[in-house]
Amino acid sequence: MKKTHSFILVLTALVLFLSGCAGFQTSNNSNSTNNNENNNTEENSEGKTVIDFWTFWGSEIRRPIIEKIIADFNESQDEIEVKHTFLPFGDIWTKELASIAAGDPPDVVINDINATALRGQKKQAMNLSQFLEQDDISNRFYPELWDATLYEGDSYGIPFNTDTRVLFYNKDAFEEAGLDPEQPPTTWAELEEYAAKLDKKSGNDYERIGFYPLWGIGYDVWLLNANGQNYFDKENNVQIDTAKNEEVLNWLKTWKDRYGDKVVNSYQAQIDSQQGHPFFSGDLAMIAQAPTFYTQIRDYAEDLNFGVVELPEYEEGNGHTSWGGGFVAEIPEGSKNAEEAWEFIKYLTDVEAQTYWAVQNFDNVANVEAAEAASQSSEFTEDGSMVYQKAVENMEQTLLTPIPVVAPDFSSLINPNVDQFFLGSMTAKEALEKSQKDVENLIKKNQ
Amino acid sequence: MDKTPEDNDYLDRTSDLKSIGKTNENPSFLEHRGNRKNFLTILNFFLLAIGGLLIISPLWWMVSTSLKTMAEVMSFPPSFWPENWLFSNYIRTWEAAPFTRYTINTLTITTLVVIGNVLSNSFIAYGFAKIPFKGKNILFAIVLATMMIPGFVTLIPQYVLFAKLNWINTYYPLFVPAFFGSAFNIFLLRQFYMTIPTELIEAAKIEGANHFYIWWKIGLPLTKPAIATVAIFSFNGAWNDFLGPLLYLNDENLYTLQIGLQVFKGQLSTQWNYLMAGSLIVLLPVILLFFFFQKYFIQGINLQSGGK
Amino acid sequence: MGKKRLTMRRKESIYGYIFVLPWIIGFLAFTAGPLVFSFAASFTNYNITSQMDFIGGENYKGLFTEDSLFWTSLWNTLYFVLFSVPLTTIGAIFLSALLNQDMPGIRFFRTLYYLPAVLSGVGVYMLWMQLLDPGTGMVNLVLSWFGIDGPNWLFDPNWTKPSLIFMKLWSVGGAMLLYLASMQGVSKNLYEAAEIDGANTWRKFFHITIPMITPVIFFDVVTSLIGGFQIFQEAYVMSNNGEGGPANSLLFYNLYMWKQAFTNFNMGYAMAMSWILFVIVFILTIFNLKLAPRWVHYEGEEK
Repeated sequence: MKKTHSFILVLTALVLFLSGCAGFQTSNNSNSTNNNENNNTEENSEGKTVIDFWTFWGSEIRRPIIEKIIADFNESQDEIEVKHTFLPFGDIWTKELASIAAGDPPDVVINDINATALRGQKKQAMNLSQFLEQDDISNRFYPELWDATLYEGDSYGIPFNTDTRVLFYNKDAFEEAGLDPEQPPTTWAELEEYAAKLDKKSGNDYERIGFYPLWGIGYDVWLLNANGQNYFDKENNVQIDTAKNEEVLNWLKTWKDRYGDKVVNSYQAQIDSQQGHPFFSGDLAMIAQAPTFYTQIRDYAEDLNFGVVELPEYEEGNGHTSWGGGFVAEIPEGSKNAEEAWEFIKYLTDVEAQTYWAVQNFDNVANVEAAEAASQSSEFTEDGSMVYQKAVENMEQTLLTPIPVVAPDFSSLINPNVDQFFLGSMTAKEALEKSQKDVENLIKKNQ
Repeated sequence: MDKTPEDNDYLDRTSDLKSIGKTNENPSFLEHRGNRKNFLTILNFFLLAIGGLLIISPLWWMVSTSLKTMAEVMSFPPSFWPENWLFSNYIRTWEAAPFTRYTINTLTITTLVVIGNVLSNSFIAYGFAKIPFKGKNILFAIVLATMMIPGFVTLIPQYVLFAKLNWINTYYPLFVPAFFGSAFNIFLLRQFYMTIPTELIEAAKIEGANHFYIWWKIGLPLTKPAIATVAIFSFNGAWNDFLGPLLYLNDENLYTLQIGLQVFKGQLSTQWNYLMAGSLIVLLPVILLFFFFQKYFIQGINLQSGGK
Repeated sequence: MGKKRLTMRRKESIYGYIFVLPWIIGFLAFTAGPLVFSFAASFTNYNITSQMDFIGGENYKGLFTEDSLFWTSLWNTLYFVLFSVPLTTIGAIFLSALLNQDMPGIRFFRTLYYLPAVLSGVGVYMLWMQLLDPGTGMVNLVLSWFGIDGPNWLFDPNWTKPSLIFMKLWSVGGAMLLYLASMQGVSKNLYEAAEIDGANTWRKFFHITIPMITPVIFFDVVTSLIGGFQIFQEAYVMSNNGEGGPANSLLFYNLYMWKQAFTNFNMGYAMAMSWILFVIVFILTIFNLKLAPRWVHYEGEEK
C-alpha cells in the first residue's frame, strides 16, 4: 500500500505542475477564444484587432501558401492581425457549427460553396450585403460561382476557389491504338469508338481499359453534360424523370455491361482508395477528372505523356457542359469582428492573393482576372500551362449544382435508386420515376 | 467503527488468495497426462500462429506503405514490398508538424483521463455492486441509459455548456468528466465486484470495517485485472480520441497527435506514406503499454475460491 | 436491538449514496443538461442556429409515417447488430480461451491479437477497403487459393454489411481483453476437481470456464448491443462520400441521423431519431437485464 500512496503523491504533484500549463488556463475574457502567449484579448500587444481564420489547409504544400498570403495581409496594414488555425477537412464545419451555437465563432471560415445558400437561410453565415453595398466586389468572380452564394438575392460567402471536370487522356496509348493523339474524342459516340480501340485484352483480362465514364465523376455529371442544366430550375421544379435522362443512364449502363462488374469494381476500388491509380500506369487510357489531377500526374507519374480536353458532348452542337464546385470565405453569424473579417476576405479574393494561390497550388481560383493571369504564368511547366489554360477556358461551360434549400438532401433520395439501376434491380425508367416522386415529396414537405 | 483491530486477518486472506492466483496460469492443462497436454499446447500454438498471421498480414500493408515513396504508393497494381525501404519517411513525418509537442499534450490528457477513470469508476462501481440502497436499480438503469443516446445529439448542447464554463480551448472538457465515472467502466467493474463473495464483505463488516476500508483493502486488490482493463481501455480511448480535442481546442499549440495526423490527409489527395508512418508511431506506445501491463492480468486473483 | 438494525440499514444506504455520489455529480453537471435539452428539442424544429419552435410530435410522426430512409437505416442497423453481436462475442470468448494459457510467446500473441483493437482512424478503414478490393484485394486472393470466387464486398449491397462484420471480427481483441481478465479469476480448484472426475478440456471449458465468466459475457453482450446500434464511423468512411451506399445498404441509423443533424441541419429531427433509438435499445437492455438471472452466474451473490 505504501507504493500506492507515493504513486498518488506523484500524481498530485504532476497535476499541480500541469495546471500551470497552457491547456489548463481558462481565458479571462469570455468573448475571446484566443489563448496565445501574448493575446488574451481580441487585441494583440500592438493594439491590432485579431481575427480568427479557420481553414482545412494544413498540408505541407498548402499551409505555407495560405500563411504567406496572411503574412502579406498582416503587413499591408496596421489595424488587423489574422490568426490562422488549421482544422481537418470535414470536421472543421462541425466545430464551426458548435461555436456558432455557443455564440463564440471564429471570424472567417472556408466552407463549401454549394451549401452557402442553405447556411444563409439557417443564419449560420452572415449576410454580406451590408458590406457589398459599400464595395461591390461581385464582378470579380465567375457569375456561376457568385450566383451559388446567393440566398434570396443576398450573398452569404465570397467565392475563393473552384474546379471543373475535364478529360485526361494518354497520348502514347492513343498512338499505340492508331489514334491521333492531337484529336481526342469530342462526342459521346467518338468516346465509345475510341475507348473500344484503346481497350487491350490478353485472354480474359484487360491489359488496358479505354475509358469508363463513372471513374472520376458521377452519373450526375453526365446528366448535366447531356441536359446543359441542373435537375432543379430556379422555381424549384424538378426534372429528373425525363426521356433524355433515361437514355443517359442506359448509355452509362452499356459501359458497365461491356467491361463487366469485376473489372469495373476492381478499378473503382483502386481509384476510391486514393492509391495506385490505373491512369498513371497506363492501364487506363482516359479519365474525367478535375484539373488538379495534373498535380498528381506531375508528382507520381512524371513520364506520362498525356493530353487534356473538355468533356465530350452528348451529340454535336449539344455543348460540352461540365460540372464544378468550390469553396467560399464566409463570416459566421455572431462574429465580433465582422468589419475586419470583411477587409481580410476582400484581400483574400483580390487579384494578388488569388494569383499567388492559383500559381503556387495549381488550383482554380474564383477571381476571373487572377485565373487568367495565372494561366499565363511562367512558373508552370509546359504540361502545367496546358492543363491550367484548359481549366480556365472550361469555366465558361462549367455549371455548379448548389444545394436547393427546399431539398438539401435530395441526392440521398436519388442515388440509391440509381445504384439499384446499375445493379440491375430497377430499370432506368423506374429509378427516375421513383426519384422524381421522392424529391417532389421532399420539396412539398419542406416548403 | 473506524478502528479495524483485526485487519491483518483480511490481509492474510488476501495474500492467500494471491498465492492461489499466481499458480493459476495454466488452468486447463494440468501436469498429469503429460503427452496430451503437450499435444494440446502445440495445437494451440499453431492455431494462434495461423490466426496471428491473419491478424497481422493486413498490417503489413500499413508498414509497407509507410516505407514507400508517394510515387510508389500510387503505382498500379500496388507493390507488396517497398522498392526502397525509406525509413527516412518516419523522420519526415515527425517533422511535418510539431509532433513532439503534440505527444506531450496527448500524454498529459491521457494520463489525467486514466487516473480519473481508475479512481472514480472503481469507487462508484463498488457502491452499485456491493451496497444495498434505495433507488439503486433505477440509478443503475440511468447509468446504462447514458450509453444509449448517440453522442451527436448532445454534442452541440455539451459544447455550449463547456463554453459557458469558459472551458473552451482548455483540457478540462477532455479529462474532468473522467473523474466522475463513465457508464461503460462502472458497468464493467460492477460485474467484477459482483463476483466477490458477499461473505467476505460481511465478515469484514462484522469485524468492524466500514465500506471505504473494505473497498480499499479488499475490493481494489481483488479487482486488479479489471482495473487494469479499465486503465488500458481508457488509455486507448483518450490516446485515440479525435473529435473531443478537435472540438474543444482552438490553439494549435494544444493539439493532440490524432489531430496532428490529419495534416497528411488533404481534401484531394492523402500522403499515405506519412499518414501510415505517423499512425504506426502513434500506435507504438499503446502496444508497448499493453505488452508490459499484461502481468496484471496474469497476477489476477482467484475470486471464486475466496469464500470456499 | 431493532432500532439499531434500522440505523445499520440506513447507515448502509448512506454509504451507498456516498459511493455513487461522484457519478451523480458528474451526471448532473455534464450529461443531464444536454440530455434534457435534446429531449425537449426533439419536439421542435431546432436547426442549431436560427429556429427552435415547438411543433409537438411532428418529428416523431414524420419519422414513422413519411420517412422511408428512417426504416431503411433502422433495418440496416438491426441486421448489423443481429450478426455482429453474437459473432464478436463468440469470437472473443474463443480467442481468449486460446490465449489464457501458459506457453512460450503468449505475451507476444496477446499483444498481436490486441493490436487491431488499438488501431483507429481512417487508416484502418482505408486498409480494409484495400483488402476487400474485389480484384486485387488480399481477401479475395486468399479465397481464390481455395477455389472460391470472392464476392464484390463493398460494391454489392448484399455484401457491404457482412464486410463490416468481418472488419469487426478482426478487431475482436478489445473484448478479448475483458474475457482474459475474467478467466484469470476462475479458480484452479474447480478445474482440479473436474480433472478428478475425468472431465476433458471441452467439458471443463463449457462447464467451468463459461459459467464462471458469465458476468463478463453479460457485460459484453449488453455493451456491444448498445455500441452496435451506434455504428457510424465505418459506414461514413467506407461508403462513397459518406452517403451510406451502394443502394443505401450502409445507411445505418446513426449515419442517417448525422446527415439530418449536420448536413441538412434538421437537428430537432435528429434528436427525435436519437430518442427513438434510445427507447429501442433501452427495451432490449431491460430485456437483457431481466433475462440475466437465468444464465448469469454471480459467485458472490447471496442465494
